[in-house]
Amino acid sequence: MSGASKKRRRRGLVLIRFAAMAGKEVNHILRDPQVLLFALGMPVVLLLLFGYAVTFDIDHIPLVVVDQEQSASSRELIAAFEGGDLFEVVAVRETPEEVEPLLQRGVAKVGLIIPEGFDRELLRGDSPQAQLLLDGTDNNSAGMALGYANALSQAATKKAAERAGTPLELPLEARARTLYNPGLRSTVVLVPGLMVILLVMVAVMLTALTVAREYERGSMEQLFATPIGRLEVILGKLAPYFILGMVDVLLVVTVGVLLFDVPIAGELAVLTGVSALFMLAMLMQGLFISVATRNQMVASQLAVISTLLPSLLLSGFIFPVESMPSPLQVVASIFPARYFVHAVRVVMLKGGGFESIGVDCLAIGLFFLAMLAVSIKRFRRFVA
Amino acid sequence: MTSDANPQLQEKGGPVIEAQGLVRRFGKLVAVSDLSLHVAAGEIYGLIGPDGAGKTTTIRMLTGLMALDGGVARVSGEDASNVGVREQLGYMPQQYALYGDLSVDENLTFFGRLFGLNRAERERRKDRLLEITRLAPFRKRRADQLSGGMYKKLALACALLHQPVALVLDEPSNGVDPVSRRELWELIYEFVSDGMAVLLSTPDMDEAARCHRVGLLHHGKLLAEGAPDALTRRFHHETLMVRTANRDALEDLLVGREEVLALSPEGAELRLVLRRGSTQALLAWAETQVGALHWEPSKPAFEDVFLGLLADPQSCSEPAATELSGGAQ
Repeated sequence: MSGASKKRRRRGLVLIRFAAMAGKEVNHILRDPQVLLFALGMPVVLLLLFGYAVTFDIDHIPLVVVDQEQSASSRELIAAFEGGDLFEVVAVRETPEEVEPLLQRGVAKVGLIIPEGFDRELLRGDSPQAQLLLDGTDNNSAGMALGYANALSQAATKKAAERAGTPLELPLEARARTLYNPGLRSTVVLVPGLMVILLVMVAVMLTALTVAREYERGSMEQLFATPIGRLEVILGKLAPYFILGMVDVLLVVTVGVLLFDVPIAGELAVLTGVSALFMLAMLMQGLFISVATRNQMVASQLAVISTLLPSLLLSGFIFPVESMPSPLQVVASIFPARYFVHAVRVVMLKGGGFESIGVDCLAIGLFFLAMLAVSIKRFRRFVA
Repeated sequence: MTSDANPQLQEKGGPVIEAQGLVRRFGKLVAVSDLSLHVAAGEIYGLIGPDGAGKTTTIRMLTGLMALDGGVARVSGEDASNVGVREQLGYMPQQYALYGDLSVDENLTFFGRLFGLNRAERERRKDRLLEITRLAPFRKRRADQLSGGMYKKLALACALLHQPVALVLDEPSNGVDPVSRRELWELIYEFVSDGMAVLLSTPDMDEAARCHRVGLLHHGKLLAEGAPDALTRRFHHETLMVRTANRDALEDLLVGREEVLALSPEGAELRLVLRRGSTQALLAWAETQVGALHWEPSKPAFEDVFLGLLADPQSCSEPAATELSGGAQ
């Protein structure tokens, strides 16, 4: 046989062995309903659960009101607070002393106290003072209430001053317009983030068990006694789970769009491309865990820890990476979850193409290659 | 299977499987120490020894599944750790190593594809192997639903599918009923007659006696090597059956004595392997302790040789063989 045809035959054999490995994995998957249930059922159930339950949109903050002035402008201020969905007046009291017990008992989270003389000071052109008491144990609600109260009181003051014939000109006035998510709806931001977490968990967990299972069952010894190479084992195992993972992507995106009205401003092809890259990186991380631990129990625990923490805390899904201390930012930049969260938001909400997520794709791709390299290095052909 | 015989089988003159000075340590434990052996084409070599002797470790080193701490392991003249060697080698591990959730057919197909057999060739060999292992009616059955014997036959078929020049079996009839065991051995003989080299390990003396040559492994060292009947012939200690009214008392009396290499109750009698020349004095003394004894020499079985070798590694050394033939009385 000539050198060239030998080489061709060798390459052909690599493909045959890769296909044999992948085909065998498909058989394992099809015969284990739990794997399918885990892979396809869990992400959808979790997305529904999280999508409906987890929301950072704050409304109906319980408010207690004390109006000692009882004038048109004081009523106007209270009406302004009541106007939106943000506050809901749950109690009206006569004296400021009655407010704190209500905050203490949790009946109200915010107290608005308008003292006697509010109108007089307003008319005089002095700054009238209304007091706002906030329950600091719920810092999210308190922060929102404070911001809203400031904006409201500014508007109300301006209006009252105009009425008094002394229009107020603010030297600097911010006119904010929120792009990409005009309603600032948190589901629009959360659902893409959730997709990342679910895909990470499913992908890593699926492959984390595959190699470890072969070691535990003893079949690795038989496998190593054949001419199959390490790369053929790894890629052969990866392939079927990659397809399963992409079905997951499709499912989760469909649920996100249909049920949570998450817009897809960008191209579907870009979203699919970056998801595929991310899926490969995560499956590879799972395989590395499997190769390194050789034990299903340890592998599954490591899979959960190594996916949940970075994707939940370090991905920018909840806490912006830019606000983290710099050592944590360094850690966050290792894990692909951060780049994928960014890329998904850019593509889905901003309508960005590959040119706007190039860095993200590069970082995810590098992670995949690094995981592949360490897996092959760790995956020795020896059983002991 | 003659028509399927691998043409390379007959051509080889030198050893097919070869170990030279193998060493393997696990921490401080030396599992295999300076072990050398070779298996020729058409030969069945049995690695025998008690559990923990180092049989599996030796086999794993010779199949390239374990790194060596010293020495050389070769198959068909090539280093056993080369991936290319796998095509020459059929291996059946001791534990269940096939895919239980795949059928008989699917397991065979999978391993056939890994060895690069094309579909027509694979199907032809599969049919032939399923026929001679009598697994053909169970093609669709999942491997984890096979009996122990059927499972081993399937594992053997998977190891033979690519027609290796060397077949390595780690305790092949472990957990197999006597009928299946005989079938398994018939299969092994059939392939060996075509020129395959077979290395197997076993703790079972009956099985060891079926090998062409055996090597006795103990604490990682090869204590003796040779054809089972030659080793039996060369065995120069004394084997005898002793009858007494109080067998248990005699057993208690003799156990642990330096002259006693092995003892085991057999029915109402006690089978003894005693150090050469010690029988008369020892049994005369025993009679004073437990009363009258009747004894007669017995032809050493291979098990006696094995137990004798464990107690005295020089039991079968060459110079003693001729002068001691029939020296029991």
